[in-house]
Amino acid sequence: MRWKLAPWICLAWTVSTVTAEEPISYNRDVRPILSDNCFACHGPDAEHREADLRLDTFEDATTVAIVPGDPDNSEVWARVTSDDPDMLMPPAHSNKPPLTEAQRAVLRTWIEQGAKYERHWSFEPPQRAETPTDSHPVDYFIAAPLAKKGLAPSPPADLTTLLRRVSLDLTGLPLTPAEADAFLQAAAQDPEAAYSELVDRLLASPHYGERWGRWWLDQARYADSNGYSIDAPRQIWKFRDWVIEALNADMPFDQFTVEQLAGDLLPEATESQKVATGFHRNTQINQEGGIDREQFRVDSVFDRVATTGTVWLGLTIGCAQCHDHKFDPITQKEYYQFFAFLNNQDEPTMKVFGSHMDVPSLTAEFKDVEAKMAAYMQDHAVDLAKWEANLTPEIKKSLSAGVTNILDMPVEKRNFAQNRALFASGIGAVGPFRELNDRYTELDTILNQGVTTMVMKELPKPRKTTVFIKGDFTRPAEEVTPGTPAVLHPLEPAHELPNRLDLARWLVSPQNPLTARVIMNRVWQQYFGRGLVETENDFGMQGTLPSHPELLDWLAVELIEQQWSLKAMHRLIVTSHTYRQSSADRPELQEKDPDNYLLARQNRLRLDAEVVRDAALAASGLLSRKLGGPPVYPPIPDGVMNVGQVKRVWAVSPGEDKYRRGLYTFVYRASPPPSLTVFDAPEGFSTCTRRIRSNTPLQALTLMNDSGFFEFAAALEKIIVQEGLETAFRRCTTRAPKPDELAVLSKLDTLTAARVLLNLDETITRE
Amino acid sequence: MMNPSQHALRDITRRHFFSRCSVGIGSIALASLMAERGAAAPAKPMRNPLEPKPTHFPAKAKNVIFLFMAGGPSQLDMFEHKPQLTALNGKPIPESYTAGKRFAFMDSSHRSDLLATKRSFQQYGQSGAWVSDLLPYTAGIVDEISIVTTCKTELFNHAPAKLFMNTGSGLFGRPSMGSWITYGLGSECDDLPGFVVLQSGPRGPRGGAVLWGSGVLPTTYQGVPLRNQGDPIVNLSTPPKVNPTQQRQLIDAVRELNLKRLVETGDEEIATRINAYEMAYRMQTSAPELMDTSGETADTLNLYGIKDPQESSFARNCLLARRLVERGVRFVQLYDTNWDHHGGPTENLEQHLPEKCRDIDQACAGLVLDLKQRGLLEETIVIWGGEFGRTPMGEVRESTGRNHHIDAFTMWFAGGGFKPGQVYGQTDEFGFGPIENPVHVHDIHATVLHQLGIDHNRLSVRSQGLDFRLTGVEPAHVVKGLLT
Repeated sequence: MRWKLAPWICLAWTVSTVTAEEPISYNRDVRPILSDNCFACHGPDAEHREADLRLDTFEDATTVAIVPGDPDNSEVWARVTSDDPDMLMPPAHSNKPPLTEAQRAVLRTWIEQGAKYERHWSFEPPQRAETPTDSHPVDYFIAAPLAKKGLAPSPPADLTTLLRRVSLDLTGLPLTPAEADAFLQAAAQDPEAAYSELVDRLLASPHYGERWGRWWLDQARYADSNGYSIDAPRQIWKFRDWVIEALNADMPFDQFTVEQLAGDLLPEATESQKVATGFHRNTQINQEGGIDREQFRVDSVFDRVATTGTVWLGLTIGCAQCHDHKFDPITQKEYYQFFAFLNNQDEPTMKVFGSHMDVPSLTAEFKDVEAKMAAYMQDHAVDLAKWEANLTPEIKKSLSAGVTNILDMPVEKRNFAQNRALFASGIGAVGPFRELNDRYTELDTILNQGVTTMVMKELPKPRKTTVFIKGDFTRPAEEVTPGTPAVLHPLEPAHELPNRLDLARWLVSPQNPLTARVIMNRVWQQYFGRGLVETENDFGMQGTLPSHPELLDWLAVELIEQQWSLKAMHRLIVTSHTYRQSSADRPELQEKDPDNYLLARQNRLRLDAEVVRDAALAASGLLSRKLGGPPVYPPIPDGVMNVGQVKRVWAVSPGEDKYRRGLYTFVYRASPPPSLTVFDAPEGFSTCTRRIRSNTPLQALTLMNDSGFFEFAAALEKIIVQEGLETAFRRCTTRAPKPDELAVLSKLDTLTAARVLLNLDETITRE
Repeated sequence: MMNPSQHALRDITRRHFFSRCSVGIGSIALASLMAERGAAAPAKPMRNPLEPKPTHFPAKAKNVIFLFMAGGPSQLDMFEHKPQLTALNGKPIPESYTAGKRFAFMDSSHRSDLLATKRSFQQYGQSGAWVSDLLPYTAGIVDEISIVTTCKTELFNHAPAKLFMNTGSGLFGRPSMGSWITYGLGSECDDLPGFVVLQSGPRGPRGGAVLWGSGVLPTTYQGVPLRNQGDPIVNLSTPPKVNPTQQRQLIDAVRELNLKRLVETGDEEIATRINAYEMAYRMQTSAPELMDTSGETADTLNLYGIKDPQESSFARNCLLARRLVERGVRFVQLYDTNWDHHGGPTENLEQHLPEKCRDIDQACAGLVLDLKQRGLLEETIVIWGGEFGRTPMGEVRESTGRNHHIDAFTMWFAGGGFKPGQVYGQTDEFGFGPIENPVHVHDIHATVLHQLGIDHNRLSVRSQGLDFRLTGVEPAHVVKGLLT
């Protein structure tokens, strides 16, 4: 590949300068210009193509518009440089400014050099470059572009900063001062061994699954209600727990994918594999009156296509819903072939029992107990009649209203449940009936009142799928069968009519040039605040090019070779110097790389919304470390449940459930919890592959005044009183305060000092 | 020589430095502080993300008040005088109108028989605009407003249509108009949010918070609900056990410690946060001041029809809207719910529509007149309307009502360079569809942005390989005929 010969040090934010010795690269230099300015009308979309001219392939472009080697005889050159407003491209009505001098120079040189086209980088399989054995592969790939700019990496972050960083990154929780001390002591002996041991311990912590589970739940657009106008609550938290458990078990990412997209279609699918298919049930459901249900079912399939395309392929497949894709080689027909995989489902809810439970034998036992009770009641009908006849008014008064109502019924009209109630209140209250009845109640609860979750199920007879003209479900056109875009690797279906399982396997096929890159890019983004491909949801023509293409490829190949183990990749990244270096800014970086694309330092990142809460809970000692289970209702400000059409009840959870981690808070899509959304938590309307980090006065109001945070501050105040300011400071920032910082805090009353600590920028930031 | 926009920029910078930053932190102060310590100065001048930004071209208006009648007000009982509808009451609408069209409630209460209005209509003012007896006060201001009878949208269910009116798309995740505008222009107010939402009616609007969401834009630009009960802004009040001195000490100590960290790390996000705390602190005073209407005269309260100034109502929200734009808040949106007059038990045309009209009529007119008498109308666009209108055909329900209708419905616009005293667009004999000058929702958006000095084609943000715009991808037009 070209960039193996001449290192491809392309940086998305610079216009590369054209020099004679460096040949123009189509992918790096030319395509961004053509894609942004020309392809909308002269690209893959046949329907909206102007003047029958296509500039995205060599064959088409060179038939009329480009003469390789001869810009002056190329129509393209004439058009982009024309003085005549009617001739100039891009035209005025496109609202694109004329090409800059630099862009024109690139085009001219490219045509002079033969107008060579290249396949889009992300459609080529990733190649693993050789790395020297004496350096960490991540650092190796980061070093070269830095050196070229005359920059050196930053020194390592000090140990407490690193400790806090890696703990927050891997588990979303800061370490306690005692844990920190233990690490620092070990590090004094052997820093490498201590760090490596710490990383292993954090990766083994169940909180790892919570932290990275939330990363995945963003992409899965998880929330606890149906959305749209009614926004009724739904039960799908078992899916959330499945994600946490799967990540904790380091389920290989390919299996993780297959179970979520098609777990129900696996041979002998387990309950857990079916729970996993909740991934695509996280679409909204419109329960508004007067709707056409088919319209919103189709909308949810559109969302599933777009989400699948974005999450695994990093492609904006959704753009081809109404017309051929304007920039990427995906036709509208291919869109609907993809759609066909996801258009054949029933959308049931499933009762969940847990893997430890033997449902068939419990069901058999339940029937057996029921039969024995029926027999017992029949045998003792006379005794019951006697009991009934002897009931005094006093005893009658002591019975429940339900039972007295039954007593008023004629004997022959009473059913099993009613007789059961009578026996339980009377002659069966003790003895053999009692035993049967208790077991009956127990089994009934287990079998019939269990938790449910929303899952996918394939219809026995496939739905017919057609192209929809302009994406309008009332305008069906050509019928299509399931298929994948031709530009990518071939689908190798195991079924005559390919189904979701084939799609899922195709997505994680080692032949797929995209999935591993896209996922590793999104993992990287968590650690540095930005992906190697900045447009983490668009690896297509309109996306930015990777800042470090060889590194991205190396990581992608490594992920597959590590049997798709995410934990292995986390370990790899957090042990690099690039990850461990200081995040402090330096004057020379301000000048040469102000936005830190080259990573000559780490980045300071404000904590994610849930972790802002978790860190404060941990600092104040209130945190409940309970894992999983139904969503909880921590206190929220009055009145916030009134913003939607239906006012929802928010009964604050009792006991430790008030202090659970943020990811367990119930999220109504139409009235989400303000303390989370104010820190940019997504509401689950569509897939979220990158959170924006805003910085607003409402965040300040939340940390200062929210009753929840105030309660955390009150708890932290107790720690100040009992253990001193220094300990409290360390619980918030991990590091010890400096004398001048302590001086500021010790002038305050203890409650104010505690509130100050929870409001520090540093407390809500990973440095 | 500086050009006018450079002047404006310099003024803004000066104002920023001297007013916003006197307590917070200014870029010059910071630079010298950092230099003293030999640390790196932040690369860019620090900004408040809501700092005013230059427009694309000179603006006619600065602020917007959107009076949103959630549910879909019945234009045929309020603004559209259609004698033919009365003449053919109960007869089926000719099929040529409805062929190939889809409606809500197709499988239940939707019907094709025309429904006459029970209201009486009259022409008012110089413009001779028709207004029904439901809106006597609005009738009194027809020469101040532009009534558009040919508004057109694309979706006929409430939540998607509300999204469409607010974000230009029925899909989730797009920024709302108020977010776009505060993103494009910033806010001139440094102690209140730039985009504020007020609610009245028995429930919140269908769709909830997503209607004022910021979508792909930072949450800095999302609408902030201002509540009439409890804290006007969530978490505005200092906690009960904390006194004002302690709150100020908190802010000061946080600033001092954050400043130390800023010098240590050179991260300009810390400077933004320091300023955010100052603004939060100012909001704690300014929001209650805003809500305290005790200084308003009896004349003013009467103008809006406010009987009890303490009571939460649409009328009080209109007064608050004026107080908000007075303070430089960029975009104010009022939601009033229960305008869905299908003829169900709580929403019919006979009883409930007149009640709703009484709730809002005087207040809407009062707002326009009050803005005018204070010289604010010129720079404020007032928009009145819902997510769609209602059908000329009646429905079969408990009582009289009309179905959702998207082909033609009525909105009105006042101030901000909209032409006063005109009725724009013409619909057919039944008011079913436009026969002249249709105005698509995207055209409305383009026109509002234009008056604010923004080219709707240039206000875009790149996400998922696309340039997202409020006005979408199909061409949208500034409706010149609506403007002075």
